[in-house]
Amino acid sequence: MPEWQGQIPVGPDYVTAAPVELPPEMSKSIKRHYRRSMGNAALFATLAAQTAVAQSGLSAAELSGGRTGCVISSTLGSSSEVYESTKAVIEKRFNELSSCQFFRIVSHSSAFNVANFLGINGVQLSPCSACASSLQSIGLAYEQILAGRQEVFLSGGSDEVTPIVVSSFRHLYALADSRELTPQEQSRPFDARRCGLVCGEGAGIMVLEEYEYARRRNAPILAEIAGYATNCTGSQISQSDSSSIESCMRLALDDAQMSPEEVDYISAHATSTVAGDREEAAAIRAIFADRVPVSSCKGHLGHTLGASGALESAAVLEMIRHGVILPTGNLEQIADDCAGLNLPLAPVQRQIKTVLKNCIAFGGVNASLVLKTPA
Amino acid sequence: MIREKLIAKINQIFVEQFELEPAELTPEKRIFEDFALDSLDIVDLVTGLQRQFGISLRDNKDVLAIRTLQDVYDLCEKLVAENPDIKAKLSD
Repeated sequence: MPEWQGQIPVGPDYVTAAPVELPPEMSKSIKRHYRRSMGNAALFATLAAQTAVAQSGLSAAELSGGRTGCVISSTLGSSSEVYESTKAVIEKRFNELSSCQFFRIVSHSSAFNVANFLGINGVQLSPCSACASSLQSIGLAYEQILAGRQEVFLSGGSDEVTPIVVSSFRHLYALADSRELTPQEQSRPFDARRCGLVCGEGAGIMVLEEYEYARRRNAPILAEIAGYATNCTGSQISQSDSSSIESCMRLALDDAQMSPEEVDYISAHATSTVAGDREEAAAIRAIFADRVPVSSCKGHLGHTLGASGALESAAVLEMIRHGVILPTGNLEQIADDCAGLNLPLAPVQRQIKTVLKNCIAFGGVNASLVLKTPA
Repeated sequence: MIREKLIAKINQIFVEQFELEPAELTPEKRIFEDFALDSLDIVDLVTGLQRQFGISLRDNKDVLAIRTLQDVYDLCEKLVAENPDIKAKLSD
């Protein structure tokens, strides 16, 4: 069944989050030598990576000692720079473009720009998979550490909002476009009046470390990755289905050697599309029924695309730290096709020890990460 | 007068493109060592000069000999001398 079935947006106007306007002094805090090869996605990733490294206390020597890697990805290297390049080619003025134009648009632009900026010289990977990009990045970094390939990773994702992205969602009838709702109310996962997603942009970057390595250097351990899995439908490119999402969550729990009863909170992918939320809700219901609180960050942040998995995982870490589960933004009346879940409508004070985080992407891709509080 | 305008326009590229301070732009400065430019920046310098003066530099082998800011001034001065249209524009 197509993503848009049963819900066709009204009117010609589409709603999207305003692009991030970085203060010039923030952009220029990255030296020109590094900034010249960055589109916005890579710039967002670098600024986030800088903050993550500062919080982690990793030294320059640790970053460049060969045991630190970098796994960062996005939907496109930089959709705004793809647009600029294409326009220049069509207008026959390609020779006017920056020498770094191609470095801004290649798919692993965020990964190598962060590595170059921080002097990271270990493994560099970029598993681009649209909206599952950053969760797959974290998962891949976790697997690399488990395999003993590296001890530390900068991992996550970044993305930017441009007409290429927004128009593509709109063309598929997946973009929120309700005349009855204000722009702030449009993104409302699991709600009866949901009608599509709202695009956002930004970056989420985490520092992942082998556990003993982190303990030896007295790193501030915010959480542990207990398990991870990724799979795909193999049958549908525009959306996932409940069966494969359920399989993915079960695989992640198996990897974590945990039962569903041990999960305290589920951070859903739920983008506010009609079909996407319905399929994920069915998958969650099949495993957890209404026992575990579920919410989606996208009612608050919009859908930050390739950044969403890592950005929302960062939000989850804050929920763990504060002992509170945030409800889904704008969720007022739970939709019939999302009923049977524990969907809080107000903040829930609760000690959170184990979290399941989902991401779902074009290509029928699913990814699930299990986080737990430090031992 | 033409040379002063030429130098001002070249310096403008270094300030805008490479974010250098105007005070740094003295002729003896070495492009790579003192300004920390690299081969990618030279591509952008060529692009900037082409845009600024409307000349074709991309296949000019003299570009490869550029080492100092003075070399850039000299090369552009030579090209301007060979091109009456650019000379006329700078004379305005």
